[in-house]
Amino acid sequence: MPNSFVMLDIKTDGVNAELQLPLSELQLAFGHDVAQNSGTLVARLSPELRAYLLAHIHAVSADGRAWTVTVRDLRVQPVEQSASGPYQELTAHLWLQPPVGVSTKDFTLNYDVIIHQLVTHKALVAIRQDWEKGVYSEQPEEVGVIRLDIPTGTILPLHINQSGGSMWRGFKSMVSLGMQHIAEGTDHLLFLLVLLLPAPLLVKEKRWGAFGGTKYSVIRLLKVVTAFTAGHSITLLAAATGWLRLPGQPVEVLIAISILVSAIHALRPVFSGKEAYIAAGFGLIHGMAFASTLANLDLDTTRMGLSILGFNIGIELMQLFVIAITVPWLILLSRTGTYPYIRIAGAILAAIAALAWIIQRVSDKTNFITDLVQQLMKYAPWMILLLGIASIISVSRERYGRKQDLNRL
Amino acid sequence: MKKRTILLIGVPALLFFACSKKDSTDTTTTTTTTDTTTTTTDCSSAANSPAKVVCLAEAFEALLTSSQLATLQVDYTQTNAVKWSNLPCGATCRNGLQMSNLTTAQVTAALAIVAAASGTVTDEGYSEIQQIMAADDVLKAASGGTSYSSGIYFIAFLGTPSTTGTWQLQFGGHHLAVNITYKAGEVAGATPRFEGIEPKSWVTSGTTYAPLAGEQSAMAAMLASLSSSELASAKLSATFSDVLLGPNEDGQFPATKQGLAVSSLTSAQQLLVLAAMKPWVEDVDDSTAATLLATYKDELSTTYIAYSGNATLATNADYVRIDGPSVWIEFVCQTGVVYPSQIHYHSIWRDHKRDYGNSFTF
Repeated sequence: MPNSFVMLDIKTDGVNAELQLPLSELQLAFGHDVAQNSGTLVARLSPELRAYLLAHIHAVSADGRAWTVTVRDLRVQPVEQSASGPYQELTAHLWLQPPVGVSTKDFTLNYDVIIHQLVTHKALVAIRQDWEKGVYSEQPEEVGVIRLDIPTGTILPLHINQSGGSMWRGFKSMVSLGMQHIAEGTDHLLFLLVLLLPAPLLVKEKRWGAFGGTKYSVIRLLKVVTAFTAGHSITLLAAATGWLRLPGQPVEVLIAISILVSAIHALRPVFSGKEAYIAAGFGLIHGMAFASTLANLDLDTTRMGLSILGFNIGIELMQLFVIAITVPWLILLSRTGTYPYIRIAGAILAAIAALAWIIQRVSDKTNFITDLVQQLMKYAPWMILLLGIASIISVSRERYGRKQDLNRL
Repeated sequence: MKKRTILLIGVPALLFFACSKKDSTDTTTTTTTTDTTTTTTDCSSAANSPAKVVCLAEAFEALLTSSQLATLQVDYTQTNAVKWSNLPCGATCRNGLQMSNLTTAQVTAALAIVAAASGTVTDEGYSEIQQIMAADDVLKAASGGTSYSSGIYFIAFLGTPSTTGTWQLQFGGHHLAVNITYKAGEVAGATPRFEGIEPKSWVTSGTTYAPLAGEQSAMAAMLASLSSSELASAKLSATFSDVLLGPNEDGQFPATKQGLAVSSLTSAQQLLVLAAMKPWVEDVDDSTAATLLATYKDELSTTYIAYSGNATLATNADYVRIDGPSVWIEFVCQTGVVYPSQIHYHSIWRDHKRDYGNSFTF
């Protein structure tokens, strides 16, 4: 039989509780045929359900003072995946407010929704968000199970103690979230790498020509990276704070298009000399995708500010790391005759991936290429190693060849 | 497209079950063939069920590769002992070898062990096990999923099978958990044992199968014999949508027995209480079942019965319990998972004093 879930978001001024109650189990405790007429449940029984929930959820501070509990909204929704098959559940959002000046991090939850009557039912309690402890919705942390203690026949209260967190810990976990976002965000990385692919080269007669020198390469590279960072920082700030709101799908499609455009540019210079502007422009788009992660956290101003800063630092660190392990090889290779082949092959592969992503994001369905790219990403460190070996081989071969030529003279 | 692939997998599984059922009806002579040698194992001369189980267990082990052996035979520890479930959770919640990963000869040998450890009454013991497994193929065909199949049942030995030491036989899958503990060639514990069924009744090739109908009717007959005042004292105020003492609830018996004292009943009613225990107790080998039933009969005066929902045991959350100094049986009706318009049954047999042969403290 399905369990209930209680998801807690620990905020500074109170605790947000999301209750997920399977209707079949709720019916056995609350009655009213809730499972039979689930479509009209909330419209039909909202006052009764609210009163029922308030009667069975109480929070008490360590000093024994009761918190104020309010029901914010109720909704019925289907659950597809479960060991006991698909089912309908009632999702209720509650706000638990401690007395003034009392911490939200330490309290006792007296909860017996459904269980007071249906003694075989269990409620799994998890912390879904606790910024100071680095807990976010993506990985809720289970803190206990509320159930009947069978030997004694009682339902024991659950003590929630989330102390031990700090602003520093929250900030650090935002940095690692930013790093993780780039490490797992194949599309962001590919965009950057493809944009850097022709960076060491000079333009000659509207085609990519010879190596422009290390200083030239580094300056062009820095321009592109800085512009991209400036772009995504602006929109990350704007979107995470809620000033700017855009639907996710078009942003995702635009990101795929940005990869396609930079892949074309890597084949033939279409916006040579203007790479920084292009990088900044596409940075604006990528920033909006980064922001969706933060906007969902619904944080207060201080924590949101620190989150944006930490997240952005994490993104930068990861980008710099990727650049540091790939660009030296590109600069080395770009001096050799092999480079045009590598540049063209890289650009074509990136273009194919970009097209596959565009199709995937417009149609909302994965295809074999996007799946393949996902699989290949596991081998990214090996591919970089291969790139390193390839560049060393081609550089030494050309050096050897030059020496041979000199000997022949 | 996806559905078709699943159905194609379903056909061999059904064939497999049909074969294993036919082969295993004759458990006295099991002929097994391996790549190198041909051995005939006849354990019919064994003195009793525990000895025959050990003999057949050794014959089964002789058919296995060393890696299969390592999976089959695990340490006799509390952690391994309590690792069983009624859920379709496959190998994640169970020990041992999965039937669908074995050869036909290996499956025959494995099921022969289970049969030798089980009772011989129709619809109980091994006959019931076969039907619970067959029901999973019915669920598989009806749901189109991959979580149900008569092939997703597991056999495990905890400790080395012997007629001198301590070891535990586990056999189970969806709706079935057999845990029998042997000590010095005797059954020290036939429990915990989980039995459930969905659909509760079905027809295959003109034959109707309803392996838990006996359990339901015996419990319903016990409750039907009660007067309205007796029913009132037997009725629990709480509601049950499953058994209380399922997997991972070992040793969690309520401190106080609830419901109606069997001692307050007439001898005819008391016989109905004993009759209601029988379909569970008779699942273990006949000799052990007789001994346990005699114990449970002696303890009737301090045994309690209780129910919740309807005494007819016909709708969702109808529940009944027998709780004695030793015996603990729960039976509950639940809304179906694959057939939501029907109810299905869950039940557990435990023994306060003999679960896991009383080897562990909880």
